[in-house]
Amino acid sequence: MNVRILTGNESAAYSAMKSMVRVVAAYPITPATPVVETVAKLVESGEMQAKMIRVESEHSAMAACIGASTAGSRTFTATSSHGLAYMHEMLHWATNARTPVVMAVANRAIGPGWNIWADLSDALSQRDTGWIQLYCSGNQEIYDTIAMAYRLAEDRKVLLPAMVCYDGFVLSHTAMPVEITDFEGFLEEYNPKWRLDADNPFTHGNILPPEPFAELRHNIQKAHDRALKIMKKIEDEFYEFTKRETPLIIEEYRTEDADIVIVTMGAIASEAKIAVNSLREKKVKAGLLRIKSFRPFPEKDVKNYLEGKRVYVFDRAISPGSGGQLFREIRSALAFSDVKSVVPRVVGIGGIDVTKRTIEKAIFERKIWIKEVVA
Amino acid sequence: MMASIRFHGRGGQGAVTASKLLAEVAYMSGYYSQSMPFFGAERRGAPVIAFTRISDEPLFETSQVYHPNIVVVLDPVILRAVDIFSGVKEGGTVIINTTKKPEDFEFEQDYLNIITVDATGVAIENDLLLAGLPVVNTPMLGPLIRAFELLNMPLKLELLERVVTRKFGKAGMKNVSAIKQAYERAEMKTIRGKRKRKRRKKEKITVEFPISFPSEGVAGKTKMWRDFRPEIDYEKCNDCLSCWLHCPESAIRVNDRVEIDYEYCKGCLVCSAICPKRAVKTGREVFA
Repeated sequence: MNVRILTGNESAAYSAMKSMVRVVAAYPITPATPVVETVAKLVESGEMQAKMIRVESEHSAMAACIGASTAGSRTFTATSSHGLAYMHEMLHWATNARTPVVMAVANRAIGPGWNIWADLSDALSQRDTGWIQLYCSGNQEIYDTIAMAYRLAEDRKVLLPAMVCYDGFVLSHTAMPVEITDFEGFLEEYNPKWRLDADNPFTHGNILPPEPFAELRHNIQKAHDRALKIMKKIEDEFYEFTKRETPLIIEEYRTEDADIVIVTMGAIASEAKIAVNSLREKKVKAGLLRIKSFRPFPEKDVKNYLEGKRVYVFDRAISPGSGGQLFREIRSALAFSDVKSVVPRVVGIGGIDVTKRTIEKAIFERKIWIKEVVA
Repeated sequence: MMASIRFHGRGGQGAVTASKLLAEVAYMSGYYSQSMPFFGAERRGAPVIAFTRISDEPLFETSQVYHPNIVVVLDPVILRAVDIFSGVKEGGTVIINTTKKPEDFEFEQDYLNIITVDATGVAIENDLLLAGLPVVNTPMLGPLIRAFELLNMPLKLELLERVVTRKFGKAGMKNVSAIKQAYERAEMKTIRGKRKRKRRKKEKITVEFPISFPSEGVAGKTKMWRDFRPEIDYEKCNDCLSCWLHCPESAIRVNDRVEIDYEYCKGCLVCSAICPKRAVKTGREVFA
């Protein structure tokens, strides 16, 4: 067993190497810079057999990734915050072109009010670009998820780009033991359905009139629907291969007999496990549902797990004028189900530390629930 | 059982590296471990903190450490700027790099184990220097092993030596002998706290617009960040004002002549590099 103490960023870079990535085009930005640094080091030492393209901006980084992917290589990039915002146009491009690019995103707040700390608002504002979005809550998970994301993105029935998101600094700079496994056997060299070929020329990304365009968009929606089923298959295969239970869609923790279920994403979910245990010691039967796949959104699973429960949604981002994005999703998923109530709370904005106390306090402040739950 | 450790240092002294090395040693000793630096606007010389968690059960924490069992202070100058005793658990251990004795420290807790060691001295004796400055992060790991003995969570000195040699290659041996010396020289005493408990008031902040007005020293008096001290030689100075123009901190004042404001100068030495007359001399800054 090859275990090393790695930061979230290093795990992302190592996973890209073990996933047989052949082209990396990236532009550094805090807190995702060490991903680019580590990849550059691995390429320089010859350990990673990939071409590193230096670009002048994130917009170009994504454009280069799309280009490399259409030419038939497995591509990887990493960014954060303003870099991700700057990529926005190209993110749409990657989806509509159906290029399975995988990107590591170290989530960070967006300025001004210059802030470099954890906040999911950068990735959540790219919610509608059609990318698959997976939110991790530990370094081993980042390592595993990138390989799984390639399997998912490159599946002939999916063919969509995927973001692997993790909280900036909270995970990106925290070092934990990570088991480095080879993915040979789980992943093969990228073999695309089609690729740009000078000997066999065709046009890609040409003008599309309304009807064909609508169909293209409709197919993207269908690909997202299929992705949920394929994710389940990949989870099982990954477990077979590594004996590690890494969820792709949803993670459930002690929800079965729970009266109150905490719903959240990212690193907060890891801390929430401790809060759940501590709440149970205080006679509050709590549980945790972590949404890992925000896009595609696992509506059916959410319904199944939350039926008949009191639901507390913790968001580490806000859509001003509407509230927490995750809360809105959960609320609409539960619109016609039998839940007691769904309550929102926005926490950890701009990198405010979210501790188990933050979560416990929020639940104890809801006195009506406590009265009902603690007999 | 979970032990949490907080490292205090100044940017460039290797507090983050020390916390990562400790996490590695703990993992090799069979514990679960985690190393978490806190990042802000760190620059060379600014006060920094890093955390390590060590546990015999899997760790799920993703928040900072507020109540550490052990505190490690890499630089005595920090004591003037930061309350290193803040939040330390009763009966915890505080390890300070200083020439003072354990009795010389005051705190709010009922009692704490204070370990003092002159790690800077140890580093200099072992020729453990980087860019002319003593390396204190590895020597401080020696006394840290002692603190773990107190917690009944023994970490092996041999494992620490192995991790350090693997990390630093050739310089590894120097580090190892410094770690051993620091381990042996560390002086430990259990001390009763005398300082009265103060209730800290939280300042209320209102931010409606992301604007700030020019003010002096928003990061506090930044002289603590200085490792080098520039001095102007007025015999050579011809008042060309190049240093005043290039100083990134506006710490050069123009009165009858150019003067350095030593309360805010961070010791970057841009003034010395830019001076056409070579009138800015540089020397080591010693506070403690």
